[in-house]
Amino acid sequence: MRHLQLTDELQEQASLYAVGALSERETADYVRHLETDQCEVCRAAAMELQGAASLLAYSVAPATPSPSVKARLMEQARQSVPAERPQPALRRPGWFEWVAGAVAVGALAALFLVVQDNRALRRREDELTSRISQLEVQLVQQRGLIATVTAPQNRVIDLAGQGTNVGARARIFWDQPGMNWVFFVRDLPQAPNGSVYQLWFVPKAGMPVSAKVFNTESNGLYQLDIPLPGGLNDLKAAAVTIEPEPGQLQPTCPFALLGAGE
Amino acid sequence: MTDDRRIEQEDHDLIRRMAARDVNALDAFYDKYRGLAFSLVLRIVGNHADAEDVTMDVFWQVWQQSQRYDSSRGKPAAWLITIARTRAIDCVRSISRQHTKMENVELQNGPAGASSEPEPFVVADIRQAVREALETLAENQKVPLELAYFEGMSHTEIATALGQPLGTVKDRIRTGMAHLRKRLKAYL
Repeated sequence: MRHLQLTDELQEQASLYAVGALSERETADYVRHLETDQCEVCRAAAMELQGAASLLAYSVAPATPSPSVKARLMEQARQSVPAERPQPALRRPGWFEWVAGAVAVGALAALFLVVQDNRALRRREDELTSRISQLEVQLVQQRGLIATVTAPQNRVIDLAGQGTNVGARARIFWDQPGMNWVFFVRDLPQAPNGSVYQLWFVPKAGMPVSAKVFNTESNGLYQLDIPLPGGLNDLKAAAVTIEPEPGQLQPTCPFALLGAGE
Repeated sequence: MTDDRRIEQEDHDLIRRMAARDVNALDAFYDKYRGLAFSLVLRIVGNHADAEDVTMDVFWQVWQQSQRYDSSRGKPAAWLITIARTRAIDCVRSISRQHTKMENVELQNGPAGASSEPEPFVVADIRQAVREALETLAENQKVPLELAYFEGMSHTEIATALGQPLGTVKDRIRTGMAHLRKRLKAYL
């Protein structure tokens, strides 16, 4: 058991231990407490008090042993130290040393390759980590999008392809309370060079209002999340026209997609 | 660096070298502390022949255990003194021959080499400080301390020898040690 603070009782025990006043059994128990329990409180107290007790040795009359004590001690110590082995003369390495050397070189080469592989793996790991982060962001965006398009308050406007774009389709998820459109396009070929597609809000009264200039991807897809301008929630239709770059203030060209708003 | 810290650092170096089996380090360590160790051992065992045998055993133990010395447990000198006291007490307990314990070691006329040699100033300084600290200690605290430390008596044996309650003896040892620790803090 480790103690949390030094009480008088613990101080007493440490003092008795330091001056050697504990019985043999008490000393063994105390040493076990210090070493096995690793009680820092008692260890610190015991160490300091043993230091103080050891100073009692300076209170006795000084005396010196005879030189024979040192002579016996040093003789015994020298005999306990193994003699140094003579260095062998340099000789040509035998086949064993050659094999050992080759194995060592091979091990170093293998280690070098492992280190290189490690670096490549770490680069790949970094790339994958970055890609995962991007995908996680996209996932969050897609989930948000799904929540938006499936909201119960949404109206749906389907747009049909017009003229040469009869195969194209578009759908608008109209969040009327939130005044927001989520606009999906499919199978609409990319606009010809020098032209762009333009999405229009077509109000019941007044002129069409430009929502967005865009171009589809090479696979004919396009996606847009756009708020409605203030005061423009009463719409008659939604339309996409093909306009000269960079787009127009009002529709000038034929419709590519058209859908009724009510 | 103070003298005391310099000495402690030198001692740590000597023990490190002894751990590496450098007999010259043992030689130096012995020369440095033979007086202190032998004086204590002689005080406890009471005769030169046994004291010299025990002193040799003490330094032999230091040599053998130098690799296990843990500086976090205390200074090298304190470690040596603890070994010296323990071996001296063991010698007294195991001895079967009857030797007359000297009451006053300073009056002893023994074999050549028994007289003390001049001490380094630091040792003399510590010796003076310890004596002064003991002089300020109450007699009823000093006696149990000395009986425990120099005679190897347990608290129960001291209580019996002095005819005092065990609790009183324990408390006086505790307060006596607290007093010594406070007075000699600079040397710890």
